[in-house]
Amino acid sequence: MTKKLFPLFSVLLIAAMALAACAQPAPTEAPVAPEAPVATEAPAVEAPVATEAPAVAEAVTINLWTKEGEADGGLQYVQALADAYTAAHPEVTFVVVNKEVETLREDFQTASLAGAAPELLWTVSDHLGPFTTADLIQPVDGLFDLTKFVGSATAAVQSPDGQTWGVPVSNGNHLMLIFNKSLMPVAPATTDELLTMGADFVAANPGKFALAFNETEAFWFVPWLGGFNGKVFDADGVTPTLNTPEMVATFEFLNQLKAANIMPAESNYDIMDAALKEGNAAMIINGDWSLGGYKEALGENLGVAPIPQVSATGTYPAPYTSGVFFMIPKELEGAKLAAVVDFVNFATSYDNQVDMVAKLTRLPALTEALSADVITGDPILSGSAAQMSYGTPMPTVVEMRCVWDAIKPELLPVYNGQTAAADAAANAQAAAETCISGLE
Amino acid sequence: MSTSTLTSDKAIVVPTRHKRSFFKSGREDSPFKRIIIHIVLIMACIVSVFPVLRVLAVSLRPGDRLMSTDLAIIPPDATLESYRIILFDKPFLGWVWNSLAITIATALIGVILAATAAYAFSRWKFPGRSVGLVFLLATQMIPASMLMIPIYILAIKLGMVGTYRGLVIAYCVTSIPFSVWILKGYFDTIPADLEEAARIDGCSQLQAFWRVLLPLSTPALAITFLFNFMSAWNEYLLARVMLGSSESLMTWPLGLQRLQGQYATQWGQFSAGSILVMIPVVVLFLYSSKYLISGLTLGGVKG
Amino acid sequence: MITSEVILKSLSEVGSTVLLILAGTFVVEALLYLVLVKWLKYKYALPFMLLAPAAIGLIALVIYPLLWELRLSFTNMSLRAFKNPEFIGLKNYVRVFTEPVLKQKMFFPLLGQTVLWTVINIAFHVGGGLFLAMLLNRKMKFKGIYRTLLILPWAIPQVIAVLAWRGEFNFSYGYFNIILTKLGLAPVAWMTDPTANFIAMCLTNIWLGIPFMSVTLLGGLQSISTEYYEAAEMDGANGWQQFKNITWPLLQPVVTPAILLGTFWTFNNFNVPFFINQNELESSDIMVTGLFRAAFQYNRYGFSAAFAFVIFAMLLLFTIFYTRYTKTLKGTYES
Repeated sequence: MTKKLFPLFSVLLIAAMALAACAQPAPTEAPVAPEAPVATEAPAVEAPVATEAPAVAEAVTINLWTKEGEADGGLQYVQALADAYTAAHPEVTFVVVNKEVETLREDFQTASLAGAAPELLWTVSDHLGPFTTADLIQPVDGLFDLTKFVGSATAAVQSPDGQTWGVPVSNGNHLMLIFNKSLMPVAPATTDELLTMGADFVAANPGKFALAFNETEAFWFVPWLGGFNGKVFDADGVTPTLNTPEMVATFEFLNQLKAANIMPAESNYDIMDAALKEGNAAMIINGDWSLGGYKEALGENLGVAPIPQVSATGTYPAPYTSGVFFMIPKELEGAKLAAVVDFVNFATSYDNQVDMVAKLTRLPALTEALSADVITGDPILSGSAAQMSYGTPMPTVVEMRCVWDAIKPELLPVYNGQTAAADAAANAQAAAETCISGLE
Repeated sequence: MSTSTLTSDKAIVVPTRHKRSFFKSGREDSPFKRIIIHIVLIMACIVSVFPVLRVLAVSLRPGDRLMSTDLAIIPPDATLESYRIILFDKPFLGWVWNSLAITIATALIGVILAATAAYAFSRWKFPGRSVGLVFLLATQMIPASMLMIPIYILAIKLGMVGTYRGLVIAYCVTSIPFSVWILKGYFDTIPADLEEAARIDGCSQLQAFWRVLLPLSTPALAITFLFNFMSAWNEYLLARVMLGSSESLMTWPLGLQRLQGQYATQWGQFSAGSILVMIPVVVLFLYSSKYLISGLTLGGVKG
Repeated sequence: MITSEVILKSLSEVGSTVLLILAGTFVVEALLYLVLVKWLKYKYALPFMLLAPAAIGLIALVIYPLLWELRLSFTNMSLRAFKNPEFIGLKNYVRVFTEPVLKQKMFFPLLGQTVLWTVINIAFHVGGGLFLAMLLNRKMKFKGIYRTLLILPWAIPQVIAVLAWRGEFNFSYGYFNIILTKLGLAPVAWMTDPTANFIAMCLTNIWLGIPFMSVTLLGGLQSISTEYYEAAEMDGANGWQQFKNITWPLLQPVVTPAILLGTFWTFNNFNVPFFINQNELESSDIMVTGLFRAAFQYNRYGFSAAFAFVIFAMLLLFTIFYTRYTKTLKGTYES
């Protein structure tokens, strides 16, 4: 019988030899020592107010999940920040992981379920709803001095009971009118002006577009709804109000805007983005995250202004503002919590906030940093700040997910005239209601 | 492993000569019909290749312009800049290397595990056999996203997150059912008499399997390897939850995904990367093309 | 750039895993050897030993997760009951059939949509695959080149292929609309019109699936002896009669399992319906994308587990009926 088994073992042995050869060269579980962070070029390593800094230098590893990707330099910025902190506090090391926004939410939920949540999140305020509903993060009121931040930023992550669930890193994440000064020297101030200037532009520049925006996402729709004085939720903040006269008026306006033939037939993010970069669109509507890239592409010709005032109502469109926040998992405590708190204070210090503004072209969350020269002296950032003042905080309740998903499929059919505005509003409301009832 | 790629050229030129000899030259087509067939096939080839060429076009465009009015495959301002960035400025080669290491290891182990199991299914009528076969078929019906959460939790509990351990084991195992199906189907077509003859010559059952059955089953083994390779090479969801935390362990699907920001995507580099990662699979397909047709006997096909 | 550090790290990771698997296998085999061979002297000791490694893996990574999901399907787990879900019996299963599965669509319309999707795709996969296989099943020049190029859709990573196709359906910049406009026809709103979006999904998936079918069927065609056709020609049978009476019946042993597998893959195809449906039209959702949305976008964990088992059960029922009907797979289970 032993003889019978010989070939089986020989198979395994051959496989073992073929692969054991692979296993050898690695001496031991060599931990990837990241190249010693160069403290000099790191953002301001001035020792932050180390009030609660861990008394004993206990070595901790902080897993930091961030929604910042590589494309706009966000991830590189987060990594540099972490490296700088480690340089000053060698006992604290970071594993910075980038996860796409939705992935970050899903993975954080699952990891929490298995009791293996990361120590710190750097993410958008939308996640507040799911995370607090599932009881996965802790309030930060007792841990930080939140008064030093811009009021609208902390307000975005407050629950109705007054607790604050995140520490703001940047403020904004809002849409604005971005234009190419070489094609359109001055931005229109009202929608009537937008239509006439747009028509003139298209007549003078055949084949180009006066305006383009992402027509496939509801995030680009809500500013206009605000311009018509509409809101997606009732006063209670959870009952959807999508079948309203304001909603219908917004749909009708956007349908007319499309019918004016100043925009591409159907535009998504990539089309709008390429159109501005290639000089095929005079104006687009995009968020503060894109400013860095456009600065590079258009240089001096880049202009930023508020989205034009809605002539019919006299109200400015109100883009959603949210910004980016640190969130701390529920179970975090002890030395790890102390290290996380200290790092967050470091990341939101004046010097680092100003540094972030320069690197990412985003508005800071720290009130003090708002008056820094880098903002007041920069027409683009001040344009962004001007738009921000018309913004409205994005709802963070879990019901918002249903509202997004209910509006999204209606957008293009209404813009293109396939669905009547009233029907689309009714559809969206019905879809949102069923979806919310399914959330249990 | 590496020798296979060296011999691939030969395989392309005469892919199925030995198969051809099975056929009589009796059914000749008229010249007119032949021309029509060639035209139809050329059109089919264009359709099948076209989307790849479009990806190639995006990868050659400067900047990250996915959408362009430009329809040329090689744009007038074509540049290899995206390739340069992804090859030399990004850890792309590291991602590909990681994927290759994982994929080759899992494909090999998967084939070994499946071959032994398929042998058992093919040659013995042990109790529970038909239940086992139905179960293997049933695994193909499970929606993939259904098992994600429990597998992730299991991996966390076993401390297999952030290492290749969980991933490699999961890839090996999930490829087994389909591989067993193919291999069992193929083993069934090989008469047991051949092994009996070997056993009369003094071989044990396993020696007969090793020396007689496996060499005869090369086409099916090659196909199984190819399938396993492809599924592990392209796998994203499981890798995303299992690895995630370590920069140096990233596989290419995770790496390419990273080029996509929340709204903005580096399409030039994404496309360049896509073109590059197609190469290993296409090479493998070319090499195994001579086995593809004879080896893909889906279970239950009995000659 | 690639660094030696990365090379070594991943090699050691993979190597140690392989060693772990080998060691595990060795222990299991040794134990089974002692128990089955030495102690019980069991007749089927060898097949069980051959099966053991695969079986253990499948139990850990398929059966255990299935049981976990089964338990979950009887609870009310969602974001609101995340850490301490309660047992609610069969309520989730009732909900699957009585409440909208997604936003507004109920279960049966969704099932209808999924069946339609599957039938259309399989019909074109088999039809197109057979057509190409028959064209290729002859002596001809450039055969190797044709075959290589025709297999390409199968060889490229699916997500990349689907994203490339999605670009082609763009209203202004996609190839289809550019060609339609050049032909003087109206461009189609592939992304917003429900019917057009569904057609776009089908086109993409048909393109993806034909190579597998044509390769499989070519294998089947080549195993049909030419003598049959020679005899038929002598009897004066025309091409269609030959196909109907010889080719198709003799292909059945290959066609049936291929259709079965194709059905599972198409029914459960996620990438195509999810990514082509960029605007999240509910009309384009099929069951697995609905399942994904319920589970991951709306976090209805308990509900989606029940939903998954319903999908699974339906495919199982289909398999039983189909194999009974065609009787082809009998050999797989019973021979």
